[in-house]
Amino acid sequence: MASRRRMLLKVIILGDSGVGKTSLMNQYVNRKFSNQYKATIGADFLTKEVQFEDRLFTLQIWDTAGQERFQSLGVAFYRGADCCVLVYDVNVMKSFDNLNNWREEFLIQASPSDPENFPFVVLGNKIDVDGGNSRVVSEKKAKAWCASKGNIPYFETSAKEGFNVEAAFQCIAKNALKNEPEEEVYLPDTIDVGGGQQQRSSGCEC
Amino acid sequence: MSSSSSSISSDDEPNSNPKPVDDELSLASVTLNESNGNGSVNVNENENNRQDGGEIAWGRKNSEVEVEALSSPSSSGYAGERGSSSETTNSRIEDDEIQQVNNDDGFVDGVDHSRASSWVPGKRHVDEDDASISWRKRKKHFFILSHSGKPIYSRYGDEHKLAGFSATLQAIISFVENGGDHVKLVRAGNHQVIFLVKGPIYLVCISCTEEPYESLKGQLELIYGQMILILTKSVNRCFEKNPKFDMTPLLGGTDAVFSSLIHSFSWYPILTNVFVQVEKLDNFSVTGTHVTKTQSCGRNFQGSAKVDYCSSHQTVQASGPIGWNPATFLHAYTCLPLAYATRQAAGAILQDVADSGVLFALLMCKNKVISLVGAQKASLHPDDMLLLSNFVMSSESFRQVELILIDSTTSECFSPICLPRYNPMAFLYAYVHYFDDDTYLMLLTTSSDAFYHLKDCRIRIETVLLKSNVLSEVQRSLLEGGMRVEDLPLDPLPRSSISHRMSQQRLLTDSPERFRESSVGIGGPAGLWNFIYRSIYLDQYVSSEISSPINSHQQQKRLYRAYQKLYSSMHEKGIGPHRTQFRRDENYVLLCWVTPDFELYAAFDPLADKALAIKTCNRVCQWVKDVENEIFLQGASPFSW
Repeated sequence: MASRRRMLLKVIILGDSGVGKTSLMNQYVNRKFSNQYKATIGADFLTKEVQFEDRLFTLQIWDTAGQERFQSLGVAFYRGADCCVLVYDVNVMKSFDNLNNWREEFLIQASPSDPENFPFVVLGNKIDVDGGNSRVVSEKKAKAWCASKGNIPYFETSAKEGFNVEAAFQCIAKNALKNEPEEEVYLPDTIDVGGGQQQRSSGCEC
Repeated sequence: MSSSSSSISSDDEPNSNPKPVDDELSLASVTLNESNGNGSVNVNENENNRQDGGEIAWGRKNSEVEVEALSSPSSSGYAGERGSSSETTNSRIEDDEIQQVNNDDGFVDGVDHSRASSWVPGKRHVDEDDASISWRKRKKHFFILSHSGKPIYSRYGDEHKLAGFSATLQAIISFVENGGDHVKLVRAGNHQVIFLVKGPIYLVCISCTEEPYESLKGQLELIYGQMILILTKSVNRCFEKNPKFDMTPLLGGTDAVFSSLIHSFSWYPILTNVFVQVEKLDNFSVTGTHVTKTQSCGRNFQGSAKVDYCSSHQTVQASGPIGWNPATFLHAYTCLPLAYATRQAAGAILQDVADSGVLFALLMCKNKVISLVGAQKASLHPDDMLLLSNFVMSSESFRQVELILIDSTTSECFSPICLPRYNPMAFLYAYVHYFDDDTYLMLLTTSSDAFYHLKDCRIRIETVLLKSNVLSEVQRSLLEGGMRVEDLPLDPLPRSSISHRMSQQRLLTDSPERFRESSVGIGGPAGLWNFIYRSIYLDQYVSSEISSPINSHQQQKRLYRAYQKLYSSMHEKGIGPHRTQFRRDENYVLLCWVTPDFELYAAFDPLADKALAIKTCNRVCQWVKDVENEIFLQGASPFSW
């Protein structure tokens, strides 16, 4: 066993179909980009090792399908996530408007213990398209929304050009880590044969 | 294309899968728990069906492993579907190579190291991940993961590198659970994927070993039990409080415990070539060989050099596989053969200690019980004994810790452990002391501050054991081995014992000995090769030593699997109770006989005569009865309370 324990962070990527979730992930993990669109079915899983502040992490990235017909998979996928990445396309207003739905859906299904402070990261993708001329969501607008939801970190990215992708994922790792609860002492019960009942050292077993 | 695939499919095992879906082009069938419907659903993993909105597929980006990849290239139908026939042939050859490597692997480990078990437990092939061809060709994988898809344990490869694979497994399980079902088994070609959900802990086995579903599920249950033994079921609370909970740090340093348990699920490969070697040697030159051999398999038999009366036969027996551990599927334990008085002496002192506030006192030699005693009303399940002894034997620290301050020559340990069948929620405390490389004492208590009391108990026990020569008798028994099919008496002898050992005088003159001489190399009478006798009432079994007809690792492993299958078929739920089973194939005749009192599993030469085989089984039962005082722990069994 390693002296310093490695951590595994589960990262969920959400957003409308076609905003570039898979491309972002591919750019980040494999440094590759393809113009061809292939819809994700269900979910894809990638792992990437990152070093952050002298510690080694494994990001377990859950790239989900954006199509509505896959929404029912949510509960199964979101459980135990360490960070949630919301992606929209700066050229498609609807994909930005839907961020709110994605966020709420995630909080309902994953039901994290502290929803107010659950780490999200928002990525505005495809800023390269048409030299930025077809852009419909301004950076200001996006940042305002992020601020209203508890100061969610915001990044403008281009999966195609690889712009800001690394930085965004660094932030994702950092945020996932921030939320890590302090380690508790693991202290199960001890059998009390004489008394015929058990001592409880912590909590209740239901 | 199709011709090549059909010729390949003929190589597949003829009759392991009762379900017809296996032959269809659909690559995986999911058997659901639900009783309504036909209980079987096909999940199409075909690329063409991928876009079909109703279906779900689980793709992967950083490697090609998908559910379909679980299907071996050699599986019928699939191979033809996939690509050209030459590719198929190639991958098949590769497949065999890896499997060969796999087998050699264990063998190399078997002679390589000098620790208490000749196979050294621990993680294998850490550099592999799911993208490695070698990883994908391994015959049997085991995974533990959390309900959020975080990896906890993997038999091969690095858990973190397998995080994506782990997520895929969780997605499959959760997807089916979302529909109110439970996924139990996926068949993909000749692979089986077995799922076991234990609250927030998911266990998965992926295997192409053709073991029955029930056996593999039983193995997953034991792995879960092993985890509980280390941590108790209180881990569930950690997940309740925090679904993100990462369990791996809690299990830190226990890789060897799991790998040695998994290893005991199949027959140990030990010293195949030495068996051959011994056959060729003269009886007189064997003593030296014996010593070398035991050392080479890592067993440091104390005083083995002194045992110069052993014949070539005993040499073979002594190297019998310690990993031959049918306890993993029989749910029974086995005892080291000892004279009745010797075992009684050990039992008496353990009982003495148990009366002073020790919950369980166990004296064991490797995985065999010398004696055990439980406090009143406390009973110890054979599975718990298996997991406990595996934990102790595979954890180096139990042997090596030298508490210099207390006693510079003594190694002793005190550790919290949980007995899953006794109480899965809470810890007990185990005091563990090794008397020699193989023989160890375990004193279990409920009190976390009982160390010094238990230490005193141990000293008392040790004194008595030394005085009554129990420890030297244990070493003797270890060297001489247990029952051998060659020794099966031709006629029931009045009050006989395990003849070769208990009375050597008689051994030289009696008829069993003469018979044995004539049967060297061909097993026992009537072609008897091996047997396992399980006493229902005692929760114990006895298995004969390896006989020469099954001297290769492959043969031993095959026989082990055959027994496993036989056991599984005799205990299948839903089918009425079988009494007997007689089965003949190209490898053996297998005979199984189940009564309310005992179960007998016997393997014969494939050409053995049926009537004679049945007669021989009767004689085996009589023989076991004749020597039961030496091979079983009688009387003071805690299970009778």
